[in-house]
Amino acid sequence: MSQRETTRRVDAIRAGSSELENHLIDEYDAGHISRRDFVRRGTVIGMSVPIIGFLASACGTGKKTSTGGASTGTAVQAGGKEVQVRPGGTLKLGMSPGPTTEIDPIKVADEGGLGVMSQSGEFLSWSDNKLQLQPRLAESWKPNADGSVWTFKIRQGVTFHDGTPMTANDVASSMNALSDPKNGSNALSTFAGVLSKDSAKAVDDSTVTFELDGPNGNFPYLVSSDNYNALIVPASFSGKWEKTFPGTGPWKMERYTPNSGISYVKNADYWDKSRVPKLDRQEVKFYPKEQAQILAMQSGEVDVLVHFSPTGGRALLNDPNITVIELRSSVHREVHMRNDKAPFNDKRVRQAMALAVDRKALVNGLFGGKADIGNDSPFAPVFPTTDKSVPQREQDLAKAKALMQEAGVNGASVELNTWDGFELSDLAQLLQTYGQKIGLRLTPNVTDAGTYYGDAVFGKSPWLDSTMGITDYGHRGVPNLFLTAQLTSKGVWNAAHFRNPTYDGLVKEYVQALDIGAQRAAAKKIQVLLLDETPNIYPYFYFFLTSTKKNVGNVEVSAMGHYDITKAGFTTGS
Amino acid sequence: MAKFIAKRVALGLITLFLLSVLVFFMANVLPGNVGRRVLGPFASPQAVAALNHQLGTDQPLVTQYVDQMKGYLKGDMGTTVATRQPVSDVLWPALWRSAKLAILAFIIVVPLSILGGVYAALHEGSLRDRVITVGGLSAAAVPDFVWAVVLLIVFSLGLGLLPSTAAFPDGSGVLTQVKYLLLPAFCLVFVLFGYIARMARAGTIESLDADYTRTAVIKGLPQRAVLRRHVLRNSLLPTIAVIATQVGYLMGGLVVIELIFNYQGIGQMIFRAATQKDFPSLEAAVLVVGVVFLVSTLIADILYSVLNPRVRLGGAES
Repeated sequence: MSQRETTRRVDAIRAGSSELENHLIDEYDAGHISRRDFVRRGTVIGMSVPIIGFLASACGTGKKTSTGGASTGTAVQAGGKEVQVRPGGTLKLGMSPGPTTEIDPIKVADEGGLGVMSQSGEFLSWSDNKLQLQPRLAESWKPNADGSVWTFKIRQGVTFHDGTPMTANDVASSMNALSDPKNGSNALSTFAGVLSKDSAKAVDDSTVTFELDGPNGNFPYLVSSDNYNALIVPASFSGKWEKTFPGTGPWKMERYTPNSGISYVKNADYWDKSRVPKLDRQEVKFYPKEQAQILAMQSGEVDVLVHFSPTGGRALLNDPNITVIELRSSVHREVHMRNDKAPFNDKRVRQAMALAVDRKALVNGLFGGKADIGNDSPFAPVFPTTDKSVPQREQDLAKAKALMQEAGVNGASVELNTWDGFELSDLAQLLQTYGQKIGLRLTPNVTDAGTYYGDAVFGKSPWLDSTMGITDYGHRGVPNLFLTAQLTSKGVWNAAHFRNPTYDGLVKEYVQALDIGAQRAAAKKIQVLLLDETPNIYPYFYFFLTSTKKNVGNVEVSAMGHYDITKAGFTTGS
Repeated sequence: MAKFIAKRVALGLITLFLLSVLVFFMANVLPGNVGRRVLGPFASPQAVAALNHQLGTDQPLVTQYVDQMKGYLKGDMGTTVATRQPVSDVLWPALWRSAKLAILAFIIVVPLSILGGVYAALHEGSLRDRVITVGGLSAAAVPDFVWAVVLLIVFSLGLGLLPSTAAFPDGSGVLTQVKYLLLPAFCLVFVLFGYIARMARAGTIESLDADYTRTAVIKGLPQRAVLRRHVLRNSLLPTIAVIATQVGYLMGGLVVIELIFNYQGIGQMIFRAATQKDFPSLEAAVLVVGVVFLVSTLIADILYSVLNPRVRLGGAES
């Protein structure tokens, strides 16, 4: 295509685009954001994928951006290129621990439940492993001028597995079921302050509008596969969802045995012909303990492990017969320090504790290097809005000791609470050692999860009430929930009891921002403020690891725990 | 005998009642509430309250306990808290799976350990005796999960002869099921062999020294007949008691083995129920294991009296 024709087409696209879309194109054209961020943000604000693709190559200066998310979200090893696979066959997958509760889209809260649910069910969009939103049951979406109303165009010609057409009414009823407090949905945490009861309306058969509680620039993520519960189910459905797994997805449930396993057959009538599964069947086995699934992978009883931890599955990392797919994620540990209780009511003590931590040693020792180093804010390197120009906090014992001396604290004793899962007790012991180096006596108190979390409300939970503790958080595609729930004055998970009006204002600014430039500007201010205040220590964000046999190709996963094997199969040479 | 059995059944019912009270209230002493445990720490308080209401776990403990007992009397064990299935749909298949593993372990270990014990007794003090007794005890001293890891590394990962899981595919034939269950069964064999063999050996040595054995030998009976008719019949009494008491352990105490081999037996069910605060499942599973314990010890007592007329059950009182 000639330069003239390209310019003409770009102008035509710009003429038909909203102010927000034009702003994004300007930002990319000026080199303020990277190509990847342009694509990702374009998908969030609802630009069509072909247009994004065209603009990505036609515009842009090729300048290197200083704040681009160069290492975001992609598979950092393997799993990248599509390979030739044989059609047919049954893929055996292992999952640990598998669904631990009844599989009900409204209530499901665990990775296992989510993983099996999203084989037969679908979302409005799919948050892929680059954190880009791929349209699924929504064809497109647009915000109004301030981002307080989002309009989704619903795909036509899609049917549920029983042959019933999927309409805008099904979408609106699925979302309203989640935002209605009486249903006790697990999505209420995500929708708090964003989407109230009955705010989703089916305008016609193919249009749904969401009238939000306030402007929100990342709303499409909250109704994408990034939200555990936002699965589209038939409006007329009642009864137990797990009996038939009604959905529109590429797999139909064949047999489900709770606590044991599930099998699916391919849905040959799937609406997207490019994603009709190449395999005939998939069988998923559940393993209550991770070690059992690692053994099953090593002995060849399963072809794929959907997810294994770097700590539990070290044996797989160097196994020549196994391919490991690594995804950067926002999975993290929050080390809270009560900002309103001695000795951490003095920010110098909090800063000193954070400076005593050797993050590189933690990442190498606990995860064999399979983690990103944290910089004491929830802005993980995986997020495109994270400003990487903010200086990384490194271990500096001399400075830490000086701060402790300035604060006049020496030999203070603090109980460090956590529970006996993952690497948490190891981290507690290591923090104890770091504390000793600066004169803080930390005493780990490791209990079971039930004791640590208690009733999970202030006043009835060691997690939220203790002076110091370590809490495990799963992956989210955007940091909104972490920023609000963990750290705002009214945050329901604010274990640090951090109250800072400036921070609250900045978070509001970040959440409401519609363009990536404004989001990144707010992010930088938040990162700098949190680094100074240090209400919590965020030592690392570890990778989501998946393993496959060498003869299995095209397995895709997201760090939420979804897996997509529509293109997967056994390689032609095997 | 009938009076004895009736008395034991009555005592058994009292034991089960006490067990049910103990399990229910002890489990409720554990911190955290049920809805929170099911939905996780990050679910909203409204969601937790709604689930607790739906499950009835917001009711007073005594009400919950009475409701559960009423259900038992009607043959309804309730539904599991986490997966919302009828408890009976989970419990009976789990019990049957545990029974299969126990049966296989017994089929291997009982003849093997009795033979070993008798052989050691017949060669008392010899090297063969020491190998059997010391070897058996050493094997029993190693925890079952260590055996599990060793056997998995050698036979599954190393030689690739046997599967690393005990969860045989649905619809498998008997031989396939045996193949899947061999490794966990052998873990139990190693743990039980030393114990049973030692009892068999001690009983045999005692019988060999007894006057009736000496008389039988002096009157010229062949050694095989002496062993079969006089020694074994008397020496195996304590062994049978030991074996019967292991039934309860095999049917409900194999939590770690079942977890390592991913076997959906009753041990794993109890573990899962305890960690999820799933009281209906926990209560039902513990009570069923309690029944198995009571029945197996009762059978042991009856067998004891049948094999040894000197022991008259309830005879002293009648």
